Parts: sequence; C-alpha cells; structure tokens
Amino acid sequence: MDLVDLIAEKRFIGQEFLTWLWWKSEERGGVVALPGEGDIVVVFEKHMLLEYGEGDNNESLICRGLQTELQEARTGLVMGKKLEQARIQLTYNDYEWNFTMAAALMEFRNVKLPKTGGESGNENNPEEREGMILERIFLFEELTRLVLDLFRLFLKIRVGDEWRDELVKIREWVNKAKKD
Amino acid sequence: MGFIKGTASYVRFGVEGDLPENIWDFIADKVAAFAFRDIDETYEEDSLGWVSVLNMFDTEFDYASYAAGDFVTLSMRLDERKVSSVIVKKYVQKEEERIKKEKQIPKISRSMRVEIKERIQNELMRKALPVPSVFDLCWNLENSTLIFFSTNRKAQALLEDLFRESFGLTLMQQIPYVCGEHLLEEEDVERLARITPDYFV
Repeated sequence: MDLVDLIAEKRFIGQEFLTWLWWKSEERGGVVALPGEGDIVVVFEKHMLLEYGEGDNNESLICRGLQTELQEARTGLVMGKKLEQARIQLTYNDYEWNFTMAAALMEFRNVKLPKTGGESGNENNPEEREGMILERIFLFEELTRLVLDLFRLFLKIRVGDEWRDELVKIREWVNKAKKD
Repeated sequence: MGFIKGTASYVRFGVEGDLPENIWDFIADKVAAFAFRDIDETYEEDSLGWVSVLNMFDTEFDYASYAAGDFVTLSMRLDERKVSSVIVKKYVQKEEERIKKEKQIPKISRSMRVEIKERIQNELMRKALPVPSVFDLCWNLENSTLIFFSTNRKAQALLEDLFRESFGLTLMQQIPYVCGEHLLEEEDVERLARITPDYFV
C-alpha cells in the first residue's frame, strides 16, 4: 500500500491515540504513568479541533476556551466526531513543552520549547552557537521521544486484549459528557 | 523556520537506505554538490539547494557547520521567480491591443494569442525578483530519522526529491501507522495491521 492510501486508511490510529491520551490524562488529573520514565504531566488545553466524515464531506468543529469549556469538545465526541488536533502542555523533568498535535499525520505544530536559561545571546562565538543548536535539538528530540513513548503505550493496549476494558472506560468517560 | 528560534512546526521522516562508512566525508561532498546556487543575476526560474541553518547566504558553511554531534542540520532554500496571473493577464491584453492597433486588425488569431502569452510570461518572469523560502531540517544519524520544520506538503515533496538526489536516500513520512511499525514488536505489528476504527461512544 502506498503512503497516500495508508494515510487515508489509517488516519483513525492517530485520532484514536489523541482521544485516548485526553482520557488517560484526565483519568489521573493530568498525570500519565510512562513505563520506565515515571509520571509525566499531560494537560489538554485551550484549543481542540474535531472532525466528522471523510473526504469532501469532512466537517470540523473548533473548540476554544478554558479547561471546563472543553466539555463542548467531549459533546462532539458523543456526536461521533473524532479528535484531530489538540493543544497540549507536557511536563517532564522540570521541562515544559506546549504544542499542538495534529493526529492523522502526527504533526507537531507551534511547538514552544521549555525555557532553559541557556541562551546567552552571543551568536558570534562558534562554540555557543553549536551549544545553542545542540540544546534545541535535544529539546525537540526529547519531546518527540516522550510523545512516541506515550504512543507506544497506547498501541500496545490498542492491539492487545486489554483494549476491550480500556474502551469501556473511555466510553463511560465520553458518555458522561451527555449527563454533565 | 522555528528550528533555531521561536515556536516551530515539524513532521518526522524515517531515512531509508545505507550510508557509506566514511559518513562525514560523504555528507560533505553531497552538501557541497547540492548547495544552493544564487539566481539573482540570471534569468533562471527557480533554484533549490542546501544552506546553513543560521544564515541563508552561507553555502560554504563557514559561519556554522552543519554537523552538531550525531546530527546534520541543514536548511533547504528555494528561490522562485513568480508572476501573478492577474499581472500576466493585464500585460497580455495590453500587448494584444497594441498589436491590433499596429496591424489594424479587428481580432488576434488563436496561434498569435498563444505566442503573445508565452512571450509576455517570459518577459515578466525575467523581471521578477526571486522570492526566497527556507525550510530547516535536523537529521539524526544515530537512529536514521529526520525532523523537517514545515507542515507544508509542497515543501515536504521538494525535500524528499532533494534529499534523494543529494544523498541517494529515501525519506518516509512517519505517520502514526508507520511509527507504530517501528515501535512495536513483530507480533504486535501484525495485529496493528488488522485493527479497524472503534467507536468511542
């Protein structure tokens, strides 16, 4: 199968991951336990985009606002829409990243790197320039690694026997939006 | 932009294919061979090639090396001469009017119209200043992945072509499914291939 077909046929995997991650982070008040790493803070904030339908019939719903107003996005899930984009705050080892995950293609958008205090502003020194580049590489790679670790955690459950139980819990959480 | 300063948007690629043993010599040769060539003083329509991530005028990498630890950091620079279709239309009409008056003919033939359009388009293109776009990348040699700092599809397609031409390596976009194939054990990859969408309500 070529990439274009793969993207179309398998876009649900990224979207299911993002929805699962939203549920997973809310399950423990914003904390997700990452095997081998410990707790990582994952907070869904401000901006979400949900999709409904495919191809030309594709519709989208944008939800903005504070944490409590994300209720609207969950109502979107009840209506069968899929979570395609979300603004996420991720905190690990004193580093805090803010980024938007576009799920179908796993694009990292508007990534704000953690403040490190390492920027001296002296661009004329070649060593400092290389140091600055290496630091930014590390921060991008670290964010990517953590998201991929979370994705691996999801995938192992998704293809395994635990998924049925997990799905029941996610459905309960989604359906709670109807009652709230 | 965004790799060096400010907020950034990026996608990941897997780098497929083998590199020779003397990796850094090979990369140095290829980067030099496919470095960006300026077209400001020529009439060429476009130019595509590698420049430094810190300075788009640096194609010799004097100011900063592209090597950083086990990473290769490069910018893909594209300079393009563009003329808006509205401008082309305006000057084609103007030229048609001029010819009609000069030759005292009521109508311009189809073949002549095609010739006029082509000529005007070429003339305008020569006058247009090349518009630069720069896209950064960071290639991890250790695990053969690459971060490309643009979500623009056209830029991604250009990168795939330039990368293949330069290094003889293929880039495979790491969409979630492809990522999953790398992250899971063989047995789980087979299960991943079989899963279908689930409803969350």
